Amino acid sequence: MDEMKAAPAVKLDTLSDVNDLGKPWRYEEDGLTVTRLSPWSAPGCHPTGCGLKVYTDENQKVVRVEGDENHPVTQGRLCVRCITLMDYLYNPSRIIHPMKRDPKDRGNAEKWERCTWEEALDIIQENYDRITKEFGRESCVCFTGTGREGGTFNPYGSVMLGTPNYCYTQSGYACYIPRLAASSYIIGAAYPEIDYACALPERFDDPAYELPECLIMWGKMPLSSNGDGLFGHAVVDMMRRGTRLIMVDPRMNWLASRADIHLRLRAGTDAALAMAMLNVIINEGLYDQQYVDCWCYGFDELKARVNDPEKGMTPAKAAEVCGIPEEKIVAAARMYAQAKPASISWGLAIDQKANGMQAGQCILDLMAITGNIDVPGGNLLGDATTGLNEVGFGFEKGVGDLASKMVGLTEYPAYCNLIMNAHADMMLKAMETGEPYPIKFGMYCGNNLMSCTSAEPKRWHDAILKSLEFCFTIDTFMTPSAQASCDVFLPLAASAERDGTTFTHYGASMGIKGFSQAATRTGEALTDAEACFKIGKRLNPHWWEDYETVDDFINHLRLSKKFDFRDVAKSVYVQDEVLYRKNECGRLRGDGKVGFNTPTGRIELYSTIFQQFDDDPLPYYEEPQYSPAATPELLGEYPFVLTTGARPYAFFHSENRQIPFCRELNPDPIVEINPKTAKKLGIANGQWVELWNQFGSCKQKAKLTETVDEQTIHAQHAWWFPEEEGSEPNLYGNFRSNVNNLVPNFHFGKLGFGAPFKCLLCNVKPIDECLDTDMDLVWNKFKREDQ
Amino acid sequence: MEAQVGLLIDYEYCTGCQSCEVTCKEEHGYPVGKWGIHVLEEGPWEIEDGTGVFNYNYVPVPTDLCDLCADRTGKGREPMCVHHCLANVITYGRIEDLAKKASTKGKQVLWVPQYKPLEAKGEFVATKKNRPAEVAAPVEIESNDAWSTAAHRRSDDDHFELGLVD
Repeated sequence: MDEMKAAPAVKLDTLSDVNDLGKPWRYEEDGLTVTRLSPWSAPGCHPTGCGLKVYTDENQKVVRVEGDENHPVTQGRLCVRCITLMDYLYNPSRIIHPMKRDPKDRGNAEKWERCTWEEALDIIQENYDRITKEFGRESCVCFTGTGREGGTFNPYGSVMLGTPNYCYTQSGYACYIPRLAASSYIIGAAYPEIDYACALPERFDDPAYELPECLIMWGKMPLSSNGDGLFGHAVVDMMRRGTRLIMVDPRMNWLASRADIHLRLRAGTDAALAMAMLNVIINEGLYDQQYVDCWCYGFDELKARVNDPEKGMTPAKAAEVCGIPEEKIVAAARMYAQAKPASISWGLAIDQKANGMQAGQCILDLMAITGNIDVPGGNLLGDATTGLNEVGFGFEKGVGDLASKMVGLTEYPAYCNLIMNAHADMMLKAMETGEPYPIKFGMYCGNNLMSCTSAEPKRWHDAILKSLEFCFTIDTFMTPSAQASCDVFLPLAASAERDGTTFTHYGASMGIKGFSQAATRTGEALTDAEACFKIGKRLNPHWWEDYETVDDFINHLRLSKKFDFRDVAKSVYVQDEVLYRKNECGRLRGDGKVGFNTPTGRIELYSTIFQQFDDDPLPYYEEPQYSPAATPELLGEYPFVLTTGARPYAFFHSENRQIPFCRELNPDPIVEINPKTAKKLGIANGQWVELWNQFGSCKQKAKLTETVDEQTIHAQHAWWFPEEEGSEPNLYGNFRSNVNNLVPNFHFGKLGFGAPFKCLLCNVKPIDECLDTDMDLVWNKFKREDQ
Repeated sequence: MEAQVGLLIDYEYCTGCQSCEVTCKEEHGYPVGKWGIHVLEEGPWEIEDGTGVFNYNYVPVPTDLCDLCADRTGKGREPMCVHHCLANVITYGRIEDLAKKASTKGKQVLWVPQYKPLEAKGEFVATKKNRPAEVAAPVEIESNDAWSTAAHRRSDDDHFELGLVD
């Protein structure tokens, strides 16, 4: 990109003629200062960078928050998590000064003491120097989360701590990265996102754009979460313009109710369905022969595989596996193949199973053989210069030869190589056993693993407490994870308090670059960039010599030193240049040649890279490890299929529980049970129940709904109760309603990816207790001073 | 209570995001438990068994605390629920314009909210207190020796008084 021009706004027809279109990044209105920005976190969210107008008074205090109608995609619209931003910034339980606690008092909420940043840095440095001297820098681990800038802030690991062990703590990295890996290895581009005209100046009316006739939402319900940075309601915008839906989801959610075809498959059987759709499209000759001949590698092998009597998948066989009528599978395959253009939005469900890499592989094959890759209204790719913005930043400088010591690299190179992360499960094992070497120094960045990210959270809790001599966090609120295991707490700036960037889709495909300059500051809270700069200069000053100011660091990390942050930030929203069919003009490959960025230069329907990593180069179906088909012997004890983690509007993962207006929308952890199932079990609507399986149990509140079928139970994830006692053993009720108690570690696929968060077995029974949240307590404890 | 403006809601596309509810609370300072607009969930239930076609709708309903953001609309801006609605399904405007728009497609509802309707009616005012009394001609009333408890059976052959009242 050569310049950073402000993206033009596109007005919604419901917006009044009196509006703020065309206003500069900062302006005055009625005695208030208005700052337009494109925030990322905190509170956490995917990198969508929704437009915000933040109104500050003469004391730089935020007094009003509104959606910014100048944002070309969000157009003023805002979800409840940003509408309540003031309740987040000025929440009485927010932590805005550094704190310290003696490691022997871990788990005791009463023992924190306020300290200065300098004192906190002294403690961190003393521990870092002592521990790395004895155990090496590889004994440090960054526990990373998702959806916060800090959650993917690689320099925390590389140039601040100098460790190869930057580690997302979800088993099998069962979130986004399996899809990213499949895509990088098979197509040679980071992540094909649906084309919702995000980066086109006239959006849906842009002459370059073509509306997809058909959109498959595959294991993805982006409306509430904006998963992977896709503004979820763009799908609704497309539906209103005429796009028709196919929904692949075990749950009858809102989008499914509007779909022409809802493939309500048994949870975890996605690869079987996708293979069957390939089978139909190939055998009925509905694929794009010319595209396949020109751009794909291994079509004959793929054709042979889907027709293989043993490893193949006919619609009839898939119908039996998935529990869907055969004719619906055939109809969906035809609808997708015949629609021009058509697009597939693939979601988290692909990642949350051991067989997910193959499901992803098939979905990519579907996009490819129908000629829907990188065409208007299809699935878009980033060009040769794009990748995830942070991955590998500072690695050569700060990690260097230590990279070979990355935990899990030897066993799962396809995983560790891709995301330059320690393998999550192998990290758990390292902390439990001290093998291959001790892990002694920890940091949480954008992660509350005990409530949210980790499977078997009590196991992670115990491993961390056993292994780490020192641990610190940087966060906005106390979390169960920090309460249990941290010795220093650093205050993190929230959005509106940050100078920062948001790259939609993590920068993986063409979108919008959002820029924010802080509208306000609260207490002593710092941004991730500022904290990393400050701590890095302290711990490893030689790696930070190039940066005199935090801006220098941001200019390098976010803008590759090609632009100055303060200059470009005035544009607030900048659209990437959209170029379709980049494979035709050499824009996908480092060598500038026509084709794709794979070893064969083509889309590899037969994956030479999967083969190199010792996996089958062609797709195959495997049952979830525990399922009605794989383990019928368990059905007596655990008769139901358990799927977890459908996203509510009120929360981003474990966040927002202390925001009264968010909590009010969803006061209790909800488990969805079909009314007929509930009737058999004697469970009433609103009754508390216990869910359990061979790995653990939890208590949630039953919602009787036909959202799930009679065989399936869906439970919300990431529950804790900030209004409760924080000290151990209660730990804000962290383990009481935590559905991850029922999810095992070490159940990933051959390449190390995936975990069965969405395909397990369980049982459920009513209990006598009523554990309903007291909303008066939540309101009185967490409302703002002025409310 | 004459109304000229309202909200038209296209509930075919209301996704139940509840942005309207929460922004209304922030705008007006309503506490937990009170709303100026509230999203109701209807479904999902299968329209014809076995077809997989479900009824599933969300409908935002203005409450008696909806003032259509009078402060904002007074300045020519739209109410906050309109501004923040993620699915862009709420339109503010004059009722006759909205009614016209409503006629263009199905699954819409036109609300004409009334802020605090009891207050809007105003305090009770007795309007006829000066009406001249209708005066009957003076009549002399004599005492009633035949008094009996009016609730009792009064047939002549079967009447009984406990005799508690003289």
